[in-house]
This record gives sequence, structure tokens and C-alpha cells, in this order.
Amino acid sequence: MTWRAAALPFEFSNLDIVVACERDDMGEALIRDLQRTRAGVRHVWPVPAHLPDDTDVIFCEFAPDLARRIPWVPGDAKAALVVILAREPSPDLDLLFHCAPDAVLHRPFTEQAAVTSLMLARAHFTYERRLRSRIGKLDETLRTIRCVERAKAILIARRNMREDEAYQFMRRQAMSRRVPIGSIASAIVDTEEMLG
Amino acid sequence: MKSAGYNPHQWRVGVLFSSSGFMAVIEETQLRGTLLAIDEINAAGGINGRDLVPVIYDPASESAAFGRYAKRLMVEDRVSTIFGCYTSSSRKAVLPVVERLNGLLWYPTLYEGFEFSPNVIYTGAAPNQNSVALCRYLMDHYGPRFYFVGSDYIYPRESNRIMHDLLRGNGGEVVGETYLSLRARQHDFLPVIRDIRRLQPDVIFSTVVGDSTTHLYRSYADAGFDPKTTPIASLTTTEAEIRAMGFDVGEGHVTAAPYFEGIDGPSNSSFVARYKKRYGADEPTNMCVEAAYFQVHIFAKALKQTNSTDTDLLRSMVLGSTFEAPQGRVTINAACSHADLWSRIGRANRRGQFDVVQESLSAVLADPYLTGYGSPAACQQG
Repeated sequence: MTWRAAALPFEFSNLDIVVACERDDMGEALIRDLQRTRAGVRHVWPVPAHLPDDTDVIFCEFAPDLARRIPWVPGDAKAALVVILAREPSPDLDLLFHCAPDAVLHRPFTEQAAVTSLMLARAHFTYERRLRSRIGKLDETLRTIRCVERAKAILIARRNMREDEAYQFMRRQAMSRRVPIGSIASAIVDTEEMLG
Repeated sequence: MKSAGYNPHQWRVGVLFSSSGFMAVIEETQLRGTLLAIDEINAAGGINGRDLVPVIYDPASESAAFGRYAKRLMVEDRVSTIFGCYTSSSRKAVLPVVERLNGLLWYPTLYEGFEFSPNVIYTGAAPNQNSVALCRYLMDHYGPRFYFVGSDYIYPRESNRIMHDLLRGNGGEVVGETYLSLRARQHDFLPVIRDIRRLQPDVIFSTVVGDSTTHLYRSYADAGFDPKTTPIASLTTTEAEIRAMGFDVGEGHVTAAPYFEGIDGPSNSSFVARYKKRYGADEPTNMCVEAAYFQVHIFAKALKQTNSTDTDLLRSMVLGSTFEAPQGRVTINAACSHADLWSRIGRANRRGQFDVVQESLSAVLADPYLTGYGSPAACQQG
């Protein structure tokens, strides 16, 4: 069977994909399969010294110096990466690990394998990005939480609010002003300090 | 993953400190502390018969370069352990790399806290080990009105947020707050001097780092202020910065740190002697040298046990380990992978050394998230 874009549980049509592979039969098939998902597909060959960082997904043939051609530092990837592995020789696992790929595609591969690796890589990449953003927000929250606690105590004492009311008050203010709750809290604490 | 490097007779480790650019004054001393420890370990026969071999790059005070070199160290030089970083911006550039490739960064610098990466061992002071005691000391001896001046990057802003919090909780106040570029020149400090003259604070709390440290202290001295009544207090001005600005300019100003060159004890005096023997009698040690030095020894102790630089093995061996450092006995706190360090307040004297005016009775447990310092009386608890 062939994958039909409409039947895919994933929406690939907005994606920009760069494929850096040899245009042999299998390479041609890969490009065709990816195009069939309605994603935009750009082909480059040979693998450039610097892979592009303005794309969503990169399919790239493995080479011992591939990590050097990746234009970002590991842990700060700008695109999902699928590494295409030759049948022979088997790759140096350390070198592959250093590329920090989101999926691999072993030659010879089937049509299904191309699309599942696209799905997997994209899912891993976006999941990691969501986690990193969550950690960033958690870090920020931990830093501001002391201030929020102090502001809450001020509201409880000054406005006779209950603890949950005080928190809801700050949250509403933050939402209506489109600023982080920490900014509202620090404004309350600063005002209290000023008025004495 | 294998990460022992190409030569089976060596242990290769990465070293990232700036030898050039505006952070070189202090980072170069950290490089020296690192190399001194490596030499000592190799002179004593290496670790399980293998020498420690540093792979050293100079990121030239550019944060992004720290990230790129960390990648190069792990990917091309195949090291898993990196000693390095002074500024928080450089640490944050290395962080994604060591986290993604499961390396171990040893970070020998005080910082603003509120971080806990499983891929970092923090051996400099967290705020509860320097800011808390410093705040209390300054309020008791000079007064409650603080003026904040800092370099414009992560550490000063976060560190001031904490100091603000500590002051506020203890009835102190911040009368002014200014940030200047890391590349600020002496004339950039003129508005700061005008502010100080106008606002007449009791204390100037400085988080200025790098070359501009000299400019701040010089401008202050040129303006005729008296450190006896209104000192510049800092967490980052060490013997290295005092030497760069001139002993007369630094005299009377206050710094909080786990270590000063002048502290007593046989472990420190032999460390200072070895340092001077290698780098020259005029070269002072400082808290950053000391942390850079003792962390290599802690690493070596752990490596001797694991006989592998695999991060997971090393890390579990390092957590909870202790070492007789020049500052006193230190422990890598297993709960947060920060070091439990001594807390000391020093006042610079005419010889460019710090006289210790106050010190903790033992090492202070690391508390990077300040969980034990939540009450309004935070300054009292230190």
C-alpha cells in the first residue's frame, strides 16, 4: 500500500524538508515519498560544509565528519535530524551519537520507513523543544516564586484576601496586562516598600 | 559510550577558560589552578597509571565560543569531562551540549544559583554561601542603604535580585541600581560616581566583573570616597582584580568568598607555595583558582575509583565525596551536586590581600534554590 497524505495522522504539508543524499534509486524514492506527504522538499548534494538551519527536518547521509557539518551545538538543535546510514560499513556509534539524530534510516529502506522516520524525528524534536521550554519556564518560576509568595502575604494582610484569592488576583492582573505573574508580584512588593 | 580518547595511556579532559578578551584576568587564573592540579596528579603517577592530559581551548571571553568549543571537545576530541567557564552566559552556552551528549562540566565559579543540571558539578559559591553572610555583615557594619552597580548580563541581575530580596527582608533598601556593558571603560562609570555622590548610600554592592572592575574601583578612588565609611562590597572582586587595579585602590573594600589567599591552615600554605613556585612569587591565588584546583583533585579521586570517564559512573562517585581543599574540608553535596563551601568575609589590605573579618564555623551546605532562606529574616539566618 502507499501512504496517502490525507490519511496520515500527522500534518506534514507545512514542513520544509532538506534532503542531503545521493540521487540513486533509493535517494529518488526517498525524495518522492517525502514529497508525497505534501511537505516542501529541497535536495542538496554533496552534503554541504554547513547544513542549513532554516528548515524543519534534515535527512542527511552519514559521514564520519557529519557532526562538524551540523550548524548548531548539540542540545540546541534548530531542525529535526534523520541520519541515513549505508548498508556497509556499520557506523561508528560514537560518531552517530555525537550528531544527536532524532531518527535514523538504514539503507535499504522501504517507503514506509521514510515516512515513519519523518514522523518520529519530528515528534522527538518538537517534544524535546517543548520540554526545554518547560524547563526554561520552571527555572524562571523558581526564581520568581519567592517574590510571588511575598506579594501574596502583602495582599492577604492589606486587602484581607484569602491565599487563593490573592493568587487569583495576581494571575488576573498578569493575564490582562500580558506580563508574567512575577512582574505583577514584584510591582506589588515594590509599591509596598515605597509606601512603607 | 566510549570516551576515553584515542590514547589508551592517557585520560583526556577538556579545559575551557579565556586567556584573552575582557574576562582573561580572572579566567586565566582558573586555567592555572586547573593545570597546577593536573601537574600534581601526573607527578604522583597519574590515575591508575595513566596521565591526565588537558585539551585546552581559548574561547576569548565570547560566550557562544564556549558552546562551540564544548561541542568540539566532546565530538572531535572525544572528551566527556570539561573543566571550565567563569560567566553564567558561558556556562549556559555549554549546558545544552553537555546535557545532550551526557558530558560532565566542572564549574569552579560562584554564580547566582537556581540551577541544577545533572551534567554539571558546581564548585563555586551559591548565593546562600556568600550573599547571605555578606548582606548581614554590611548591614551591621555600614548601614542599610545599598547602591547596586553591575555588569549587564545574567549573573549580576540575578544576583542583585537575590540581594534585593535579602535586604528587603531585613529592613534594608536599594537606593539605586545601574548596569553597564561588560566592556565598559572608565568614563562609563562617571554617571555611577555622580549617583553615589547624590544618593549617599552606606554600601556600594558591585557585581561588576572583568576588566571594568578596575575602572569602577579607580573611579571611586579618584572621586575621593572613603572605603572605611562606604565600601564597595563584592562577590567577584578577588586578589586577581585587586592586583589589576592596584593595592592602594583596592584597600578597605569588602569581598565575600569561600577562600582568600591569606587564610590560615597547612593545606592552604602549601597550596599557595606550590602555586607561587610554578607561576611566580607575585602571582596571588584567589577563590576561583582554588575552586578550579580542588575540583580537579575531586575528579581525580573519583576517576581512580571508576577507572572510566563515563559520566554516569563518575557522577555517582563524585556525589558525596569530600576533599581537604585549601579553604578547608569541602564536600560535593549529593542532593544538588553543588559543593558545601566555607563562607568568609574579607577586607582588602595594603598588600593586596584580604584580612578575614568573619568566617563560618564549618562548611555551609549548598542551597542553590535558597529553600532555607524564605522568611523575611533571611539575613539573620545566614
